[in-house]
Amino acid sequence: METREFGDIELRQVREHVWEIPREGEMNAPARVLASEALLDHIGDDKTLEQLRNATHLPGITKHAICMPDGHQGYGFPVGGVGATDATDGCLSPGAVGYDINCGVRMMTTNLTYEDLQGHEEELVDALFEAVPSGLGGGGVVTGDAETIEDILARGMRWAVDAGYATDDDLAHCEDEGFRDDARPEFVSQKAKDRGRNQIGSLGSGNHFLEVQRVTDIYREDVAESFGLEADQIVVLIHCGSRGLGHQTCTDYLRRIEKEHKDLLDDLPDKELAAAPAGSALAEEYYGAMCAAINFAWVNRQLIMHRTREVFADVFDRDWRDMEMRLLYDVAHNIAKKEVHEVGVDPEGRPVRDSDAVEREERELYVHRKGATRAFPAGRPELPPAYAEVGQPVIIPGSMGAGSYVLRGGDQSLDLTFGSTAHGAGRLMSRTKAKQEYWGETVQDELREQEKIYVKAQSGATVAEEAPGVYKDVDEVVRVSDELGIGDKVARTFPVCNIKG
Amino acid sequence: MGFTLRDHTADVAVEADGESLGAVFAAVADGLTAAMCDDPAETGDRFSFAVRAEGREALLFDYLDQLIYERDVRGVLPAAHEATVRLEGDEWVVEASARGVPFADVDARDVKAVTYSEMRLAETDAGWEAYVVFDV
Repeated sequence: METREFGDIELRQVREHVWEIPREGEMNAPARVLASEALLDHIGDDKTLEQLRNATHLPGITKHAICMPDGHQGYGFPVGGVGATDATDGCLSPGAVGYDINCGVRMMTTNLTYEDLQGHEEELVDALFEAVPSGLGGGGVVTGDAETIEDILARGMRWAVDAGYATDDDLAHCEDEGFRDDARPEFVSQKAKDRGRNQIGSLGSGNHFLEVQRVTDIYREDVAESFGLEADQIVVLIHCGSRGLGHQTCTDYLRRIEKEHKDLLDDLPDKELAAAPAGSALAEEYYGAMCAAINFAWVNRQLIMHRTREVFADVFDRDWRDMEMRLLYDVAHNIAKKEVHEVGVDPEGRPVRDSDAVEREERELYVHRKGATRAFPAGRPELPPAYAEVGQPVIIPGSMGAGSYVLRGGDQSLDLTFGSTAHGAGRLMSRTKAKQEYWGETVQDELREQEKIYVKAQSGATVAEEAPGVYKDVDEVVRVSDELGIGDKVARTFPVCNIKG
Repeated sequence: MGFTLRDHTADVAVEADGESLGAVFAAVADGLTAAMCDDPAETGDRFSFAVRAEGREALLFDYLDQLIYERDVRGVLPAAHEATVRLEGDEWVVEASARGVPFADVDARDVKAVTYSEMRLAETDAGWEAYVVFDV
């Protein structure tokens, strides 16, 4: 069996694309990395593996802590990390969700073709940039009063339907129908609500963007048809999260855990893994607050999609409904959810890895996905009726010079990853180095001249920091996902217009 | 004495030093400003605030968190930071001020949050040094 060493961490190959850090010392479970040799070289290059090993110290972590093929160093828990903890005697970790609660992606399909759009790229990118708030201090599509914020936090996209920003069909094509019933707005601090007020419907900056894309490849015709995708079609991808409201919620609970559960925190190797014991008042409050922030993020992406529909209507001079601008799916990639999964247990009923199990039981777990996308196969009860037979759409954004992918939840995902796959290409180069290597305007010019991609950003520095060369090869990430059967390739898209903060 | 932006795969790290705790706090905050904007304008009015916490590291965390909050709520980029830190009973207190540059005057990008990841705050022969990772 092949082994690889990175610093003091040794990985043993379990099978192709599956590597394991064996359990030792204070680890509560082994850790696994799902990667090709080439991706593992990148993953081993920073502190990702150390952070993954640290994640196995979380109380009640079940089976393995897992790093997806696009994993990279984050803070505390690695980005691209999946950790399922026992919802009865494990823990719930804000650090394993991340600051941007329900950072996620949605894709909207249209009946336009690339040919319909050619000649309109400049007008479209300018109009989108004008209409969709982005960057720092760009405001939001809606400025909310206190009542509006409470309503959004409590009701998510149902608020957007009542306010005229969404349709029932949009709800039917969103994870959880755009609404977490467990949301408890009273557990979101006033500080967080203050920050959210003028950011409802805004992209922010960093790696968040809105992209008009064309479908270039179809890999599974039958699934693509169910998703409403065909070659040469124009689609829109929106990537952003819960903005300041979500960031503040994570920060608030991190500090409360530090004060109220110091004993648990002292046992963890990294303060950013901050976790509250399952069943504690704090865990319940964080879960309610997180679910409220999840609702906020869905509304955020919905308002941006609403604006996008209006822009298309202006630019193409017809009603957006005539362009069949439908939400394909909206899926979170920074989230923790109570989910029921079948796990192997030892004679004492403790969850263990499959090779040590004497029987299998269904357990309620907090599945933390930080920079990882839920990827449920057909048959899971959580899937919307539209995708119950084919599996859940998974949207994997690439960099602004590379393609993005639409996958569907794979048959092996429940066994290997608690129903999860990658969330993007994964960063390779630091932001500071990217600004030394690239110049924003040059990147924009090259993309336009060589690739016919029109990019518009609030800040040239953001373009440099997000240059295509700073990301891993998204094709390789998706190849590994597909070959492992955790997320199957359905279609590939290529950017046409991109706006960012 | 001042700050340097350090490499981090996805985020931004600030390494700073100062002759006093207050000076190193302000230097980290100047680094936070630099992570958001390469060239802040000389405009805007100063504002002041105070933060209390149970320890020095917690105080640094809460101070930077408060700056991010003030940024979003006031609609300004905080710049030109000043801070003094003292122990009051069993609580640490920072009295701070910054110049709030209106967003309209700058080309700035978001930093989401301060993190405890790899945070270091230590006394040296010359004063204090700190290392803070921010989530971008």
